[in-house]
Amino acid sequence: MITNLNPALILVLGPLLIPVLKGNVRTVYTLLLPVLSFVQLYTLPAGSHAEVEVFDLTLMTLHMDRLSFMFAVIFHIAAFIATVYSLHLRDSLQQAIGLVYAGCALGVVLAGDLVTLFIYWEAAAVSSVFLIWARRTPSSYRAGMRYLIIQVISGFLLLAGIILHARAGGSIEFTRLDLNSPGGLLIFLAFGIKCAFPLLHSWLVDAYPEATETGTVVLSAFTTKMAVYALATAFPGTEILIWIGLIMTAFPIFYAVIENDLRRVLTYSMINQLGFMVVGVGIGTELALNGTAAHAFADILFKGLLFMSMGAVLLRTGKINGSDLGGLYKSMPYTTGFCIIGAASISAFPLFSAFVTKSMIMEAAAHEGLTLAWLVMLFASAGVFHHAGIKIPFFAFFAHDSGIRCKEAPVSMLIAMALAAAVSMCIGIFPQTLYALLPYQTEYEPFTFTHVITQLQLLLFSALAFTWLLRQGIYPPELHSVNIDADWLYRKPGAWLARQTLKSVASGEKGIFISIKKLSFEAAARLHRHHGPQGLLAKTWPTGSMVLWVAFLLGVYLIFYYLY
Amino acid sequence: MQFLEHLELAILIPLLGGIFVLAFHSRPRLREASSILAGVLLFLYITQLLGLDPAQDHLRTLLEISPGLSIAFHLEPLGLVFALLASGLWVITTVYSIGYLNGNAEKNQTRFYLFFAMSIASAMGIALAANLFTLFIFYETLTLCTYPLVTHKQTSEAQSGGRIYLGVLLGTSIMFFLSALVITWIQAGTLDFVSGGILEGKLGGTASVLLFTLFMLGIGKAALMPFHRWLPAAMVAPTPVSALLHAVAVVKAGVFSVLKISVYVFGIDFIAEQDASVWVLWLAVATMLIASVIALSKDNLKARLAYSTISQLSYIVIGAALAWPAAALGGALHIVTHAFGKITLFFCAGAIYTATKCTHVSQFNGLGHKMPFTFAAYLLGALSVIGLPPFAGSWSKWLLVEGSASTQHYIVLGAFGLSTLLNCAYLLPVALRAFFKPPSPDVAAAGPGIREAPLACLIPLCATAAGTVLLFFYIQPLYDFLYPVFNP
Amino acid sequence: MNTPEKRYWLDKSGNVNRLVYGLYALCTVLILLDFLYHKHTNFPFENWFGFFAWFGFIACVALVLLAKQMRKIVKRNEEYYGDH
Repeated sequence: MITNLNPALILVLGPLLIPVLKGNVRTVYTLLLPVLSFVQLYTLPAGSHAEVEVFDLTLMTLHMDRLSFMFAVIFHIAAFIATVYSLHLRDSLQQAIGLVYAGCALGVVLAGDLVTLFIYWEAAAVSSVFLIWARRTPSSYRAGMRYLIIQVISGFLLLAGIILHARAGGSIEFTRLDLNSPGGLLIFLAFGIKCAFPLLHSWLVDAYPEATETGTVVLSAFTTKMAVYALATAFPGTEILIWIGLIMTAFPIFYAVIENDLRRVLTYSMINQLGFMVVGVGIGTELALNGTAAHAFADILFKGLLFMSMGAVLLRTGKINGSDLGGLYKSMPYTTGFCIIGAASISAFPLFSAFVTKSMIMEAAAHEGLTLAWLVMLFASAGVFHHAGIKIPFFAFFAHDSGIRCKEAPVSMLIAMALAAAVSMCIGIFPQTLYALLPYQTEYEPFTFTHVITQLQLLLFSALAFTWLLRQGIYPPELHSVNIDADWLYRKPGAWLARQTLKSVASGEKGIFISIKKLSFEAAARLHRHHGPQGLLAKTWPTGSMVLWVAFLLGVYLIFYYLY
Repeated sequence: MQFLEHLELAILIPLLGGIFVLAFHSRPRLREASSILAGVLLFLYITQLLGLDPAQDHLRTLLEISPGLSIAFHLEPLGLVFALLASGLWVITTVYSIGYLNGNAEKNQTRFYLFFAMSIASAMGIALAANLFTLFIFYETLTLCTYPLVTHKQTSEAQSGGRIYLGVLLGTSIMFFLSALVITWIQAGTLDFVSGGILEGKLGGTASVLLFTLFMLGIGKAALMPFHRWLPAAMVAPTPVSALLHAVAVVKAGVFSVLKISVYVFGIDFIAEQDASVWVLWLAVATMLIASVIALSKDNLKARLAYSTISQLSYIVIGAALAWPAAALGGALHIVTHAFGKITLFFCAGAIYTATKCTHVSQFNGLGHKMPFTFAAYLLGALSVIGLPPFAGSWSKWLLVEGSASTQHYIVLGAFGLSTLLNCAYLLPVALRAFFKPPSPDVAAAGPGIREAPLACLIPLCATAAGTVLLFFYIQPLYDFLYPVFNP
Repeated sequence: MNTPEKRYWLDKSGNVNRLVYGLYALCTVLILLDFLYHKHTNFPFENWFGFFAWFGFIACVALVLLAKQMRKIVKRNEEYYGDH
């Protein structure tokens, strides 16, 4: 198509027309945008294009290699599916913003330099937050505000990092960076916030579950995955990422077990899956990076599918807490089915997608002799089945019958879920199609007898544990509650501190103003006495005439001010 | 073209416009038309000046009081940019004023347009001033010409606001600015603006620190704390006046003077060598943060925006005080980018007031659906002021942050980060409440009665909001134009 | 209720039990399979009998028990942050 046109621009600018279109025209146009953008992507040659000069910098706004191509492909698939999913909406804002946001994320993975990366990075943050606010509840309003502030922190760290990196003699080309330089470290932290590193993760579990039904689906696909892409490009083989990733795989599953809001359970599960990808980046071998890319690809689909099924539940029942749901398989059989496919995929059942992607990362860890890492990931794999694979479908669709009878999800939602389920299963059954897209050549073979049997053992015995605990009454019941997480720090003591600062600064400023006013009145009064027309000092003034003029003017002015 | 060389035309055109305004006192349409015509003419004249050879100085002396002390104008990029900005926004603001003043049935419109034109004339004098003396004279006339605008409503509230306005601006300028001017005159023997400064070898060490501080405190229009209260006090004025104060002329004249003095009296290198800006830098950093915090505590939108301006002006002062070419250039760009952002915000505040008589942020819940264009424009303006891409404000912030990193002022860098967050916290909720919170009982009761402000208000605010986006993509020519000022 | 709702297969508790027994049977078969084939492994401990099976079981029980303890520390009522 058009030479050097960044496909991201199609997705960023195209949706501006959506609000003025109506009915079927709008539907067709909205669906066409990701398709057009994909065609444009497909015709682009590899390498860097679209130079732009800003200040004394040369930006490469478009850069294509195998890794960015792969992310660009899955971003298009996700954008298309999410668009289908949101077709039932009358609120054109959400459809438009969803595509703009997807376009910004696309811009990030196609950025050839750090400045372009920064621009799309920030634009993605700003556009995405509207998907949270669009729910229009008081809690989503505040959660969106917190979300935006944290995204802006990430953006500012990125900005500062890029500047320090460039100052230290680095080029602005987006390529491997050095973690041991201040600039590299700041960029690393900026990526880390978006990638939900431990303690920097709270925005994700705080805000995503507050978004609209469709908003969470869109959100789940892009922000964190573009961060994974950025980490894989800039920091492959950084050892600390292995440890960060391992903590990410392990700690959220504990929260997931006791969390009541099922979409929040899924956000914890997101961090868990991101953990695997981060470990893969940390290992940094070809197999590991392949695993990261492949798993990101698969995760976007099955996590999207799970969020879609929960979104449908929320839309139809108005409820999303495990304690309020149950027995919905009777009302929403198709949604139930799609949810189970998503659950099987995330749990890495043989023939489902994570089985052929996650295992690459674990295999890579084993090849490098990382015993502890491998064991933690095995634990997390059992855990993910436990909380995402079983808990989500079980408490929403089965468990005890909540008595809720509702309509099945709208057709557009079902189609979107079917699409995601189909692509996801395709990957699981024909992994070679996905492997062909990977950044490095691979001979990895997932379907060995050992792998299939051991994986089934792991999963089914996890299911056994769940069943046993549930039947014994040991399993923690779903309760109306919130669990404090890292966001407690800024929502409780942080907020208190902010209020105190606000109060004291405001009263301090007022006090200073009043005392200055008083001082100047006193000065005027004194001046009037001594320097006025009859004052002694007015008669002799030894310095140059200019100084005299200043004093004269000052005197006149102050007296005028005092009397007036 | 010979007439272009008569730089005093930049002052005469708005004054002439003012005379026509007076002449058409009883013919509102013609009065407004002459105001707009003067604005357009002035803008065209300034664009013609851009075409003159910048290598020549184009010095034009009007009046020589004593040798070396004269009223004179010259051409240089920084001043041209300021003149272009002020004249362009004057046209837009006049269109807006027509909608606003009629929409709110304001009295004494002739006086309003007259003093508005005189203020622009003063701003032109500041922009083209060839020496400190000329700049000072027009600086003072600008204060005096804007006073009747600030007290336009003639209520006791307006009177007391105007008193603070005049008191602080005149007080600081005479006490500090004039003193600094005299010291410069005595030390350097000249007041001319010379690239690279006039103080090299004439002054050093603590004396230079004192002099720089004296200048910066003396320029009360740059609103460094503790001399900032005039700006919130002036919010009693009608909104187009606020636009004039915050975006078109007044505060911009202040920070323009800051940059002009930094570059042409001190010289960036001189400031860096002598560390002359050390006090001002920290004062500006404190002002930036404190003003942002206070803005957070204000529920009245115009008060909130006033403190936001105080904070943003300090960005520019910091740009000068960092004594680094990129930072000062960032400050100069920030004059332009902030002007577009902030004028949009004030236009929106005025449009909201015209349409609903609401002045407090907490009253805006649910208004977004009644006034989608106004609040959408507000949102764009706010994002630009915060400094997020793809809005113009992000580029100036980029250069300022680059300057603070290059001079290894990491605390300043951190302060910019903190300020960005505070900006988000106090600017965004205004529009977000309107769009995403359920309507308050007042708004719901008013029902279909509320709609967008008149077109004459709406078009200017959409135009300036679009400007914040366009300027993001077309920042390079401005950068190239200003580059030689800071890298002689 | 005037129209008796359709009764589903899962509504009978006997059928749920059948599912659970099925799971038990499947688990037994899977663990016994360990006798029948040669594992290709990376770590020696993977060759222990039923390693993946008991690892999965213990991991999940430990996960749930620990999470239950964690609830004592992190659980707050829904209005804790005051914006629900």
